[in-house]
Amino acid sequence: MTLVPQAIILGILTGGVYALMASGLTLIFGVMRIINVGHGALVILGAYLSFALLRSLHIDPFLSLVVTMPAMFVLGVVMQVVFVRPLKGDREALSVLVTYALALGIEGLLGFFFTNNYQQLNAWYETASIPLFNFRIAYVYVFGFALCLAILGGIFWMLYRTTFGRAIRATMLNRTAAQLVGVDVDRVSALAFGVGVATAAAGGVVFGITNVFNPGSHYDLISRLLTIIVLGGLGSLRGAIVGAMVMLISTDVTAVVISPVWASFVFFVILIGVLVVRPQGLYGITVRDRA
Amino acid sequence: MTPARRTSALKGGALLVVVVLALLVPVFAADPATTNIAVFTTMYVGLATAWNIMGGYTGYISLGHAAFFGFGSYALGLLLAHLGIAAGYTPFLFVPVAGILTVVIALAIGWIALRTRAATFVIVTISCMFILQLLAENLVGLTGGGSGLSFPVPTWSGDFFNTPYYYAMLVLALVGLAVSAGIRRSKFGLGLLAIRDDEDKALAVGVPARGFKLTAFVISAALVGMIGAVYGYYVTYIYPQFVIDPLVGLSMVLMVFLGGLGTLWGPVVGALILEPAQLWLSYNFGASRLYLVFYAAVFLVVILLLPRGIVPSVTDLVVRWRHGSAAGPAGGSSETREALAAPGVRSP
Amino acid sequence: MRRPVLTTVTSILTVSALGLTACGSSSGGTGGTAQAGTPITIGVSVSLTGDFSGDGKALVQGYDLWAQDENAKGGLLGHKVTMKYVDDASSAQQVVTNYQNLITQDKVALVFGPFSSLLTIPASTVTNRFGYAFPEPAGGGPSVFTRGIGSLFFVQPAAVEDNLVSFTQWVLSLPASQRPATAAYATEDDPFTQPQVDRARALLEAAGVKTLSNKVYPAEATDWTPLAQQVIAANADVVILGTQEPDGVAFIKAFQQQHYNPKALIETAGPDQGADFSGKVGVANTAGVMVPAGWYASAKSSGNAKFVSDFTAKYGGAPGDISGDAAEAYSVGQVVDQAATKANSIANSALITALHNGTYQTVQGPMAFDATGKPNGATFLVQWQNGTPVPVYPAAAAIAQPVYPKPNFGP
Repeated sequence: MTLVPQAIILGILTGGVYALMASGLTLIFGVMRIINVGHGALVILGAYLSFALLRSLHIDPFLSLVVTMPAMFVLGVVMQVVFVRPLKGDREALSVLVTYALALGIEGLLGFFFTNNYQQLNAWYETASIPLFNFRIAYVYVFGFALCLAILGGIFWMLYRTTFGRAIRATMLNRTAAQLVGVDVDRVSALAFGVGVATAAAGGVVFGITNVFNPGSHYDLISRLLTIIVLGGLGSLRGAIVGAMVMLISTDVTAVVISPVWASFVFFVILIGVLVVRPQGLYGITVRDRA
Repeated sequence: MTPARRTSALKGGALLVVVVLALLVPVFAADPATTNIAVFTTMYVGLATAWNIMGGYTGYISLGHAAFFGFGSYALGLLLAHLGIAAGYTPFLFVPVAGILTVVIALAIGWIALRTRAATFVIVTISCMFILQLLAENLVGLTGGGSGLSFPVPTWSGDFFNTPYYYAMLVLALVGLAVSAGIRRSKFGLGLLAIRDDEDKALAVGVPARGFKLTAFVISAALVGMIGAVYGYYVTYIYPQFVIDPLVGLSMVLMVFLGGLGTLWGPVVGALILEPAQLWLSYNFGASRLYLVFYAAVFLVVILLLPRGIVPSVTDLVVRWRHGSAAGPAGGSSETREALAAPGVRSP
Repeated sequence: MRRPVLTTVTSILTVSALGLTACGSSSGGTGGTAQAGTPITIGVSVSLTGDFSGDGKALVQGYDLWAQDENAKGGLLGHKVTMKYVDDASSAQQVVTNYQNLITQDKVALVFGPFSSLLTIPASTVTNRFGYAFPEPAGGGPSVFTRGIGSLFFVQPAAVEDNLVSFTQWVLSLPASQRPATAAYATEDDPFTQPQVDRARALLEAAGVKTLSNKVYPAEATDWTPLAQQVIAANADVVILGTQEPDGVAFIKAFQQQHYNPKALIETAGPDQGADFSGKVGVANTAGVMVPAGWYASAKSSGNAKFVSDFTAKYGGAPGDISGDAAEAYSVGQVVDQAATKANSIANSALITALHNGTYQTVQGPMAFDATGKPNGATFLVQWQNGTPVPVYPAAAAIAQPVYPKPNFGP
């Protein structure tokens, strides 16, 4: 039954896309301990920005990242400074509300400028494919996966080989202690948020090429991303990648072996199963998470 | 009369006035357009109050409560279909049965979800909601799947139709408020607040945290389930994605935060503001697609300026005005109670 | 503590009072019959935002065009018509609120239906209890007709469940040597797509066409590549897909990507969206794709020539670009106009009685409604040939021969 290996391969390729999107989300949580419920909307925003560049200037979606990633980095920093930093009080809960309000605002603006019709990023080479065994893989999936590897690699490099990355990791481990050793946690938080949003731009391109989207697509997207990072362990980059792979492979294989309607269900069951045994997720660290 | 008794009498009197006015709404404002908004608004008052019992008092934010809303709806719909109950007033009598069925599912979900804390808990509740939605969609033989489930339709006239539903929602909202108030006065409530402030210390002091959390969760879920049941009967036809809808779950949370998390009246204020505003904005501005942007903007302004919500912020203002700017809220047993009830400032 | 309680109680009372007065508190009767010659408003809840908004827009175009044409000839029984649209954000709660507002607050004379069975069913319960006629263009799933609502009328030639019957009849009419022996099915679990595909499968299986694959997928899926691959792997002679437009487009692109060419391909929606569809898949790839339809641009049905020319004049584009949804909306208006003339009244009760009797002529052809509002006709089969959709079956409606097997997809 060649359908199963086919499903696994496709699961890996699309898993990369979700890993990319989830990495930004988990990074933001790790550094600031806030759940950015608006991450899905930011991914869709990235997709629409690339769509606009494609439609008006005919720029290839992958190339448009040269413009959209820096732009969204700046947007991320601004968002953090204006909306997140001033939050006092019950940070985690309030951040959910603030980021949800931002997501709604983004959805409304996108609907206003682009209408609610479904769109897709169409590269001219999108129907070209390479043969593999007895089926074909579209180039767009391969390029998308390569992009995800590149950016995730970049993030790892940043985290483990630069001073800034060390500051991020310190803040993630213990915010107060990081401040004590001289890390400017406010600056680190803002920049980390920017990096997270920039990865959303990249995720948006790959997501937009392989899926149809409209301004309302962020709901389904954010729920998948949140479950991925919880499975992997909040704040763990490795966890985000493994979680994404597990999710996409299990859903694609279930769709083939049982039925597409049960695909997501199997993933949720896996998630609950893992959490019952290991509430912190696969790679999460048990920290006292109240205060 | 002593000042304390005078205060209680005034409190009681004010409460009575509010309840009587609420009961008379269909009399003053008899046209269906208004009673329709009253039905949905009272629905959210009840939902917000019920959610607050868990989210406000224990600090465990559940974003998946829509699961119970939908479950209650389906429970009533299936009960009515299988028992062959005709439309009219009888279905209302089965709402508590839907509530009991919701208790069962809440025990299962609560047992799993409450093993986790904080952010993980939030996400687990969302996942459980999606699991229920998927079950509703895929167990076609049971729920009708994507084609939805029908409720019997009463033959009341257009002008009268909304009234029984309004009263049903009102009863549930009042029950929710009564339960919420009762919890606040009890040792159980004190335990919940202790869990919210610092769960590990509460455990150390001897608070049976697991049992208390689960109880609060189940009470909250049962109320939400009953409200969902009345909703299903009101719209007369339900679909999985409309009744197990993350937006319903998020709205009730937003209302509580807007009004004041952990207070008694905060959820009521939040619901009274947000639901009519949302229905009205959508009716008049939906076409311009900008109403989402307005909604979001209003939201952000409130959260950033009044992070504790309307009721605590307004209370503080009034108290400060009364006592002069010198002292903040201090002393007096009832003030301590209020201070205990609203979450304090915590380090980021 | 006295003050905080009073503060909260006062704020509650103020807010509720404000809320209720803002909504208006006139005790109202239902919208009654208008005086002769006075302008009337027709209320419709449409999906201008949310998942159904693309179709919502086409409906609005159709309704507006009808109102324009109607007013040009003196109005509906002499009453000038104004359309009032409200957005239901594709939400059941909002659609129930909208029709109550339209009927009791705005006191519209008549109402037309929203998009999709999902919204039509709750809406119809509301309009029914106020005694309003409810002609609707887009809610035809089986449950719409089983609720005892005597005031609802589904203005399309056939109930949704029967949409693919013409296609199955065509397949079975092919000579035995050419007839497909195997079929693959895939459908969304949606009340529009699933009933038709299931019915088609039952009919074909009964006639001996073997089912190699039958997949149901969630309506919220957004990446259909894995599903398309399963259909491709089945390698059946004929493929029957229960899709809306986005997935309809996605499957065709996936088939092209994977160099898969079934002998016949039909989709329940997508290929009926005119230029929107051909623009997305590429004109070359439309060749041979089939879709059930109740309407096509060059049909000789009542008022169609005028509809098409007025539509292109008002909105631009070519006749082939017009979406079927717009024609459905226009038909709703036509039916109401004829019923009003027959009953010589625009009172809802009179319209309801009139609509249950007799045949009505629309751009989608003649139609008559049974007691539950179900139409008693049949759709016909449309196939894209040379960049235009044309009806090919049954013979009475056909203007071209069906092309079989389907031409291969482009490079």
